[in-house]
Amino acid sequence: MDELKNNVAVITGGARGIGKACCFAFAREGAHIAFTYNSSEKEAAALKNDLGKLGVKAVAIKTNVRDFAQCKKTIEITLAELGRLDILVNNAGIIRDKALAMMELDDWKDVIDTNLGGTFNICRAAIYTLFKQKNGCIINIGSVSGITGLPRQVNYSAAKAGIIGLTKSLAKEVAQYGIRVNCVCPGFIQTDMIGGMKEEMKESFLKAIPLKRFGKTEEVADLCVYLASSKAGYITGEVIKIDGGMAI
Amino acid sequence: MKIDETITNTVKKLVMDITSLPEDKLTETAKFVEELGVDSMMALEIVAATEKKFRVVIPEEEIAKTRSIGDIYRLLEKLLK
Repeated sequence: MDELKNNVAVITGGARGIGKACCFAFAREGAHIAFTYNSSEKEAAALKNDLGKLGVKAVAIKTNVRDFAQCKKTIEITLAELGRLDILVNNAGIIRDKALAMMELDDWKDVIDTNLGGTFNICRAAIYTLFKQKNGCIINIGSVSGITGLPRQVNYSAAKAGIIGLTKSLAKEVAQYGIRVNCVCPGFIQTDMIGGMKEEMKESFLKAIPLKRFGKTEEVADLCVYLASSKAGYITGEVIKIDGGMAI
Repeated sequence: MKIDETITNTVKKLVMDITSLPEDKLTETAKFVEELGVDSMMALEIVAATEKKFRVVIPEEEIAKTRSIGDIYRLLEKLLK
């Protein structure tokens, strides 16, 4: 507890799934939270309320991460409302899975612009603040798909592989200013995405996972907390899989 | 406000401290990155150090446009009261 006391974390795509678990995990460690959401208005309002009950300040910001101006505004609101910025978790993302032959140009652009472009936009909007502080931590949520590739995900795999490159490049660029940048790559995690799958599809995915279960959002969030904490103070530029052994 | 020689000398010293460039290279129009070979992160350091030294906030949209010592003078003219 209190590992991140009075730190301020910005978590994109915070209203659901891994982002929501991160909001709770960071708040339980004492961090104040600014989270973004795009369309999940109700979930965002409920989450803000729930985070407040943990004794931290919480700000919900409607943001389309594809739009740099909105990302810039998100950082400005965070600084105005919470006074500082220590941790950035780039989690906002979408999927548009299809075989390449069926993939429309918009399926490609939407996924690249949201997942990779959104990560760039938030990093770009926040980096000068972290640079001036000479301290900060960025955690980009990648995916095993960006390491091994997965069928029907050329858009998503490319975006997530791009995030890995962005992570390594930025980590080298800003390490001398006390800023750490890491990438967490989940495998199949128990989210709405898995919940909506047919049983036979779930079974086929489980066969590919040595630990024979889907991951929990809380397990990913705990890894993010660790990376943001002082215990991970010597870790930067790392790409850490959390996938039950799927990509061994 | 119109900036005086004390301010321009302070800016020059600050830039020289960060870049190790000699004073005679620091003409008003010489571009840090393209002409003086300053690393772009170092250029960012110059902007941050200017903010700190003169206690001003340089708007983020101005950062990428701050490419020479003359640009810093012009920003300070606008920002210093």
